Amino acid sequence: MQLFASLFNAAILAVFLQNSIFERALGPNILIYASRKREHVIGFSLVIIYATTLSSVIAWILDRNFSDRDYFGIVMPLLYILVISLVYILSLVLVWRFLPKVFGKIKTYVHLSVFNCSVLGALFLSSQFGESLAGYIGFGIGTGLGFFLAGYLLYIAHPRLNSELVPAAFRGLPITLVYIGIISLALYAFVGYATR
Amino acid sequence: MNKQKAKPSDGLIRQNIVLMSGLLIGPVIAGAKDFMSAAAIAVVFSLITFFSVALCRLMPRKMVYTVRIIVYALVASVLYIPAVLTCRFLLGEEVTVSAGIYLPVLVVNHVILSKTETRFFHLPYFQMLLDVLGYIAGFVFVCLLTGIIRDILVNSAIGTLSIETGLSMPALETTFGGFIIVGVLAGICRAVYNRRTRQLTVDSRDLTVNKKSKESGVGE
Repeated sequence: MQLFASLFNAAILAVFLQNSIFERALGPNILIYASRKREHVIGFSLVIIYATTLSSVIAWILDRNFSDRDYFGIVMPLLYILVISLVYILSLVLVWRFLPKVFGKIKTYVHLSVFNCSVLGALFLSSQFGESLAGYIGFGIGTGLGFFLAGYLLYIAHPRLNSELVPAAFRGLPITLVYIGIISLALYAFVGYATR
Repeated sequence: MNKQKAKPSDGLIRQNIVLMSGLLIGPVIAGAKDFMSAAAIAVVFSLITFFSVALCRLMPRKMVYTVRIIVYALVASVLYIPAVLTCRFLLGEEVTVSAGIYLPVLVVNHVILSKTETRFFHLPYFQMLLDVLGYIAGFVFVCLLTGIIRDILVNSAIGTLSIETGLSMPALETTFGGFIIVGVLAGICRAVYNRRTRQLTVDSRDLTVNKKSKESGVGE
């Protein structure tokens, strides 16, 4: 029960309070790209959930064994990139071998959804907030769910943000950033400004 | 890609990776909370990106992209070590720490992972280096500008230099403040660029019309 509670808490933390987009701005460029198609929102989110969860397990092992070393902070990106690369290449080989149809669908964007700030940032945040293995896994799942939440909110607003009602200079990226900022402001109320 | 159309100034304005293409906006939005943090991000980004692209461009194109992207990320994360040490040396330990996770996540920036494939590989080596410098300059300018705007509006200062504005808008230091600032800057940049491009198009059209009318003797 304690394990489940820890996992659930970490997931909620990652979805709302440390949302990779609204709170941390990790990978908004990927989100904007993915939000153009519903299939991409779902596909990117699933790949991110998979990559962050699996990488978090290996990251937890590394953190447990090496986090007390002086140089750990400076080699963390290298270690985490090695972890992500390992998960990426092994998963891709397995999908290519056993699920060729799925491979055909995801091959155009799988590299973008694995090698981005959301996945790498989630590992750094896990090491800050996830105290146990369940916490790391929960944070990994929550990161992907948070990305899905942000992606879906952007997907449903996409036609309006790119419509002719928006002045030409602000159409597309500028108004999308302002829109994400406003949702981010709304989510900010969950924490409250004074308590930070 | 048309080699003749690639200009070193592209990355500075026309294809600015923050304001025009939005390829790298996260560290500017959430990391550049003040001038010093922005400077730390700018230093680390410049060093990682320039040397990573310079090295990765030498890789054989025969290698499949699935493997190349891993090598790009690994090269960048190895270069992160000297880059962050340089940043510590130039700006101090405290500033480097204050930039938080926005320094290490620069190793997966899309100038290295995507632009190398779509643009830099198609240019001759030295032209490519100039091009990369243009992209870096574009990022550094926007990152520092965002840091300065936030520093003035939040702390009434630019780095250690105090500026009495009588304003205090601490919310601009937050992530949503960053989204709104960068969004507005992107809108302004596009408006200025579109206006300038329209003006140039009109000027060149007038020039062509004048030339044609002179050739045909109209107006003499």
